[in-house]
Parts: sequence; structure tokens; C-alpha cells
Amino acid sequence: MNKRSSWFTILAILVMIGLLSAGCATETEAPAVEQPVPETEETAPAEDPAPTEAAEKSQITIVLAEDPPTFNGAINQSGFDILVMELTMLGLADVDEVGNAFPELAVELPTVDNGGVVIDEENGTMDVTWKLRQDINWEDGAPVTAEDVVFTYDAVTDEETGYWIPGIDYVDSVEKIDDYTAVVHYNAIYPGYLTQFGGYLMVIWPAHYCDAEQGFAAWDCGLDPLSNGPYVLKEWVQNDHLTFERNPNYYEAGKPTIDEIVAKIIPDEAVRKQMLINGDADLDMWTPENIVFELQDEPNVEVSLSTVDRWVMRIFFNLAAKGTTDPVVSPHPINSDLRVRQAIQMAIDTQTIADTFWFGYAKQVWTEFFRPPYNVCDIPKPVYDPEAAKALLEEAGWIDQDGDGVRECHGCTTGAEEGYKMEMEFITYSEYGETLDLTQEYIAEQLGELGIKLTISRVEGTVLWESTENGGIEQSGNFDFDIWDDGYSGSDPTDFLWGYYTTAAAEPDWGLNYGRYMNPKIDDLVDQSYTLDEDLRKDVFCQMATILNRDLPELLLFTTVDANAHSTRLQGVQSNANEIVTWNSADWTLK
Amino acid sequence: MGHYVVRRLLQAIPLMFIISIFLYALVNLAPGGPLAGRGTSKRLNPEQIAILKRQFGLDKPVCVRYVYWLIGNDWTKMVEEIPAPGVGISSTIIKCIDPRTYLLTESQGIGKGVLRGDFGNSYRTRKPVLDSIKTAFKNSAYLMSITLTIVAIIAIPVGVISAVKQYSIFDIIVTTLSFIGQAIPEFWLGLILILIFYVWLKNPLTGDPLLPPGGMYTQGMTFSLIDWTKHLILPVTMGVVGWVTWYSRFLRSSMLDVIHQDYVRTARAKGLTLNKVYFKHALRNALLPLVTIFALDLPYIFAGSLYVEILFSWPGMGRLYYQAAIDRDYPMLMAILTIITLVVIFSNLLADIIYAKLDPRIHYD
Repeated sequence: MNKRSSWFTILAILVMIGLLSAGCATETEAPAVEQPVPETEETAPAEDPAPTEAAEKSQITIVLAEDPPTFNGAINQSGFDILVMELTMLGLADVDEVGNAFPELAVELPTVDNGGVVIDEENGTMDVTWKLRQDINWEDGAPVTAEDVVFTYDAVTDEETGYWIPGIDYVDSVEKIDDYTAVVHYNAIYPGYLTQFGGYLMVIWPAHYCDAEQGFAAWDCGLDPLSNGPYVLKEWVQNDHLTFERNPNYYEAGKPTIDEIVAKIIPDEAVRKQMLINGDADLDMWTPENIVFELQDEPNVEVSLSTVDRWVMRIFFNLAAKGTTDPVVSPHPINSDLRVRQAIQMAIDTQTIADTFWFGYAKQVWTEFFRPPYNVCDIPKPVYDPEAAKALLEEAGWIDQDGDGVRECHGCTTGAEEGYKMEMEFITYSEYGETLDLTQEYIAEQLGELGIKLTISRVEGTVLWESTENGGIEQSGNFDFDIWDDGYSGSDPTDFLWGYYTTAAAEPDWGLNYGRYMNPKIDDLVDQSYTLDEDLRKDVFCQMATILNRDLPELLLFTTVDANAHSTRLQGVQSNANEIVTWNSADWTLK
Repeated sequence: MGHYVVRRLLQAIPLMFIISIFLYALVNLAPGGPLAGRGTSKRLNPEQIAILKRQFGLDKPVCVRYVYWLIGNDWTKMVEEIPAPGVGISSTIIKCIDPRTYLLTESQGIGKGVLRGDFGNSYRTRKPVLDSIKTAFKNSAYLMSITLTIVAIIAIPVGVISAVKQYSIFDIIVTTLSFIGQAIPEFWLGLILILIFYVWLKNPLTGDPLLPPGGMYTQGMTFSLIDWTKHLILPVTMGVVGWVTWYSRFLRSSMLDVIHQDYVRTARAKGLTLNKVYFKHALRNALLPLVTIFALDLPYIFAGSLYVEILFSWPGMGRLYYQAAIDRDYPMLMAILTIITLVVIFSNLLADIIYAKLDPRIHYD
């Protein structure tokens, strides 16, 4: 090999690699899963006013930040999986934009009044009977039956290959009565039953198509789904795009009206925004507040905002000493005093944060029960009063005697040593982005003026929320003071309240009660809320709201908006904080 | 040389083994884990977490996981209950040295292990990681090989002329541009390119943006060389700018060293034309170190470029790795890191071989 030929060789290799890759890097197919031949010879009802071949296809483009992991939204819960799941598959019932359930595969919602729910008061159990529509088929023509409902339940609860979904502990079994009737036997009264096999996480999976042995979380049909929803997956090029065609056999006559949906993976937020402005994209999922603000004057773009908010930005006080999980044995030297938590609440100017950093799209909230139908409790709005906050800290024994701007314990009642500095770490997760970063900095600045020195930390969500074994910060109690967002889907907050406020959920790895708030009265009220008596639930929730407002285990600040920007030609888009924007894709039209 | 290559290949085996242990430990012991977020707003309890861990194979100590990753677990013996490894023994270290920990499992393993070409299934998609890597690799290789080819085509003449005409207007301009090119943040440059060619400049005939903002091709369009080329221009430009400045500066420096050597002066004294002196005698020797560096940079073809791929929506290795890191998708991370390590080892060997071939003074045997 001489010198010249070496160079030629290297260049030739590069060119060859490039050309070969170009040849190979063409569209890849969706994961190859052979579609089984349906056992039934029934064909789908031909109600479809399908456009003629000659007519030009109507098409829209959705831009997504990430490739969906699978079509099974219950597993990764990335949101992108739920978006494509909602395009292709149906649950027994779903949730609309105000939080009300509506039937999808079911003929109607089972209730006590229509006999669909039978309660055994003596044993505290209930049976829910779901009657399925008989006009819904899978894309291969096989009907959706009760067998599929039983199959889905069995797959979820398989000890080896299953996966946990909300409320599944309350289900003893699912029984097929006939082809179109299934009964769910509950071992308790479970108010969230309407969306347990639907809602934003779950759908019903086809028994004749999915391989049970592969397991609910890993089966091939999660990558190549058999549709019974408005759209059918036509092509999936990993990390590039997915193409969906309208399902000609969709059960709602005349829907969907848009022939094709292309979901493009565009990781950069600025590019997604510009594609919308240029008309190269029709829908941007989860548009952040700053982009919503920038898009407000764009003539080709509209932004759909959720009518009811869900996600609440909140501060978590660790009531146990940092690195411990028992607030009785080792109370937090600062946070364990209620007056300190109240002072912090008074010293944060939530309205300014909402208006400035969140561009006015955030709404101040101060109780978990701010959404219908449970927004009936009279909880006073907190007042921003930094002077009163200072006085409260003085009263609590936190005084800056050395004049360095940071208060010290002088007679405080938390068990902290005399002279203990009021210094804490203030953590959030890094993925949210600039709006939350600025909010965190502003709060640290405001509390700094109060005499509480906060050191800002930002960590990956995976580090913040992992289990204790893997050093998860929250579960290990290895924090003082955190800020992040959460909220519940639909109109039933019971599981959410259990997870965040009960004593059982304060046990490491058992729930989300990271602050280790323990109050037997709250435990009792949460237990009482597992009922279908709506009047009783409202009463119970208002009692809880009063106690939580008094004890302040978490400091609720404001709701973040659920926004989806879309082109003006795309009509019918309705952001839904309880669901993903494609929840009503069958109703979308093109102007 | 043959002996040398064989010896290096044999040395690569224990090296690869040691690196894989370090990588596996780093990936698995990093803060966070794949179960975080799976259970947000839910009541995942330790039993449910245990089921997930078993599905992911995370229920074993990290030493056992490494062995299974390396040689698979399809040889293990299934028992209903795994006996405790000795009375009172609970420490991970003792578990790691007890053969029963490796041999006995509660469910039959199916992994074949890396040594048999099975890198496992992704935690994200639950499907073989190699399937995703193959697709992403083709895309990255396509982009990066074209980028590197253009880099070589531009950087070599620019570097040579810059050296030969040292302190000329050309050299000053090139030097200034080089410093600017190196100073510009890659991500910012990409955004500016999009602003200019996608937002500002329009095709005068159609009114469409001059160039697309990303992707490899236009969806739904049959293969068109023009379309593919249009999609390449911006990402390639973004990649080329930084590399060209680096390579041309390096070659300029190398060329300056060479043209002041005695043999070059001799060649000129013998009356050879300047072109012959510079391009026949000097350039060949100036290229020697560059060839080595170029060979060492070959792994970038595999690894891709994260910024370019994110900004221009290019479905390549950089994005695949980034997503795997965010998700703590251990099998995917290990597969990518292992393959990159292999490529680096072989690129080093390739650099040594080429260097020896180009420079007769180098002998390995």
C-alpha cells in the first residue's frame, strides 16, 4: 500500500459507506408481525363513505419530540405512546375535556342507576357489568368481544409478565357472560372503575392477535397494533415518522374525515414551532407556555388550551430530616414546624410567577379540589404577605441574630440545635425546562429575602423518582424542599389522594407521600372516599381540603396549561388535560 | 506486520473484556434507573416493582447481570425457590462468588449473551436492541461518511495552500475563518442555518422554503436524489464547519513543519518546480499524522453527532444513545457503548497499520 493509495482507500471507504447507507437507509418497515387470519368470516359493516381513489388524500402532520416507545400507553407513559394508542385503539370508556367519562367500546357507562353496578354493602364489594357495542371490529374484521376484555385483564395481572395499572388491586376477576358482556368483580368499592380499562392509559387488546406468552408489556402487538380505533398504522420508521391511514371500518359513520396522519419525530422545539408557522406541521403536541406565547400572533396557528387544568406545580416539604423517612423519630429541623411552612407560603408571590414566567397561562390554586365536580369546598386563597411571613418565622424562633441575612434557630421548636442555620437544598427536575428553572430561582430569591437560604439543585427525573434501592432522592427522603408538578386524570382523585397523603403511602417505595405526612384522620377520610355516593364524597373531600390546608404538607402553587398548537386549517382539536390531544381525532376535520 | 496485527487482535480480547466490566458497572451503578417514572401518579408498591425488576432482569446482583449479559442465561437451571447462598449470607459480594446465584433462576432465561451476538432487549420497546441499532447506524453512517468525505476534500487543499502561502491574504482569511468556525457553538450554527435556509430564503419559483428543516427525505415521495441531497445540505454543513477548521489548521501546521525540512530545500535547490516540491514531496509527509487522526476519527461514523441529529431530526445513533441514557435503557446503552468500543479499538489498529505502511521508518515486528 503506497501513500496515495492509502488516501484513496480511506476516501473510497467513506464514499462506499455513504452510498451503501443511503441505499440501506430508506424507509424501514413497521415491526414485522404476521397478522393472523381472523377466525370469523364476518366482515366489518361497510358504512364507510370512503373517498374515491381519484380524490386527493387529505393529510395532516403531527410533530412529536420523541418516538413513541410502543403503542401500549400503560407501560412507559411517555405521552407519545398514548398519542399513537389513542389514534388506533379504544378502551371501554374514555375521558372528555372536562373530566367526564364517555363510552367507547361500551354501549353505555355502567352505573348503579342503570343496573350496571351492583354493590354488596355487606362485604364492601361490587360487580360492574360492561355491555359492548356489537358494531365494532378489529381492522382484520374480527369483532371486539368480551373475550378481549377478559384477555386484557388476564394479561395485565399475569404474575410473570403482567404490569400494574391503577386500581387493579381492587379487581378479583373479569368474567365473560356472553360475547358482548363482561363483568368485573371488585373486592372493594372502586370509584375509578369507569376508566380502569380505558381512560388515558388503557385500551382493550385483541385476544386473537396478541401473544399472551410474550406478555402485556412486551408483546409484538404493542409495536404493530391491530386497530379498532379511527386510524390504522400503515408505516413506522423508527425515530423518523409514523403514518396512519383512516380506518375504513371505524364504527362511527362518516368518521374520521382526514385520510392520513403523519406523525413526524422532530426533537427540537424551535424547529417544531417554525414548521407550524411555515405550514409544514398541523399539530404540535404539548406546546410549552413560552411557545404558546410566541405563537399568539401567528395567523396560521391556533392554540387549543385545556378547559380544565390538571397538572399542579407544587412544593414538597420533607417533614423528616434529610436522608431519613420517619418524621416522628427524626423530624426535619426546619420544615417540621407548621409556622415555617405557612411563612413560606405567604412569602411566595405565586401570581407574579404565573404571570411572568408562565406568560399568564398558569392559574393559581391552593387546594387539590379545584376541579369539577369537587371544587365545592370553601378554602381561602392564600395571601402574599412577606412581612407577615417574617413575623411568623420570628414567632417560630427563627431569627437572624448574626446579621448575615440567614435566620438561625433561637428557641425554635423543631429540635434543631440553637444557632442552626435556616439553609436548605431546593431541588427540581431538569427536563421541564426554562420556565420551571426560572420559577425555582425566583422562589429561592424570595425566600432568601425572608432569611431562608436555598441552594438550587436540578437533577434528572430518573434520579429524583427512582426507588430507594437505586438511590431515588424522593423515596429515600434525601431532600429538604422540592418543586415539581403532578395531578390526576379524570374526575376521580381517590387513588391520587391515597398516593400522596396517606400514612401507608409514606412508607418508602409504597407511594408518593415523599414528605412523609402522617395524619390518621386523612387516612380515614381517604378510606371513606372509596364510595360511589357522590354527596358523601364531596363532604369527605371538603373535610380533607380543610385539614390539608391547615397542615400544609404540600404547598400547591399553580396549574400548568395543557396546550397543543395547531394549524388553522385543522379543526376540532381540543386539548384535554385528562387525555392526550388525539383523544377525539375521529372528530377532526380540515378546513 | 502480520504477527503484529494478530498480536494486537489477541490483546484486544482482554482489553475489551476489561472495558466491558467498567462500562457495565458505570451504566448500572449510575444514579437513577429504568423504573423511575414508571408509576408516576400510581401506587407502585415493592411487590409491583419486584415484578418489573424480574421482567427487566434487575432482580439479580449486578455481577450476575453482567455474566448473563456476557454469556446469556439460557443455561441456567429453573427452580421454584432460590436457596439463600449460605446461612446468614446476604452481602452482594458473597452472592457474587456463590455459583448458585448464577445457576439457579426462578424463571428460565432465554438470553444468549453478547458473546453469542445477543445484546438483549430494550427496556423501552422490549425488542432486540440490535434491530434499533442497525437502522440508526445506517442513517448515521450515511450522514457522517458524507460529512467526513467533504471535510477531507475541503480541508486538505485549504490547509496546504494556507501553509504554502503563509501570511498571505488567503492564509489570514482562512485562519480567521478557522477561529470563527471553531468558536461558533455547533447548536447555534444549526439554528442559524435553519433560520436562513428554511425561514428566510424561499424558492423563487414555488415560494417554498429553500431547504427542509430536517429529516432524511420527504415522506411519501418516491426516491429522488435531489430530495435526499436537499435534506443533506444543512446537517452536513453544520458538521463540516467544525471539522474543516480543525483539519485544515492541523494540516497547515503539519505542512509548515515539513516544508522547512532539509530535503525540501534540497529538492528546491535541484530545480524542481514548486508544485512538485509541495505536492509530490512535502504533502505526502505532511499527511502522515493527519491520516492517523482521520483513522482515529472513524468511530464518529458509527457514533453519529447528537446535536446535528437532534436539530435536523436525523434518526441516527446519537439520538438513539441519548434517549437510552435518559431512559436508563441499560441493554441499549451497553450495546452502543460496546460496539463503539470495538470500533475505537479497531480504528486504533487501522491507524497503526496505515502509519506503518506510509512511513517506512516505522517497524512493528
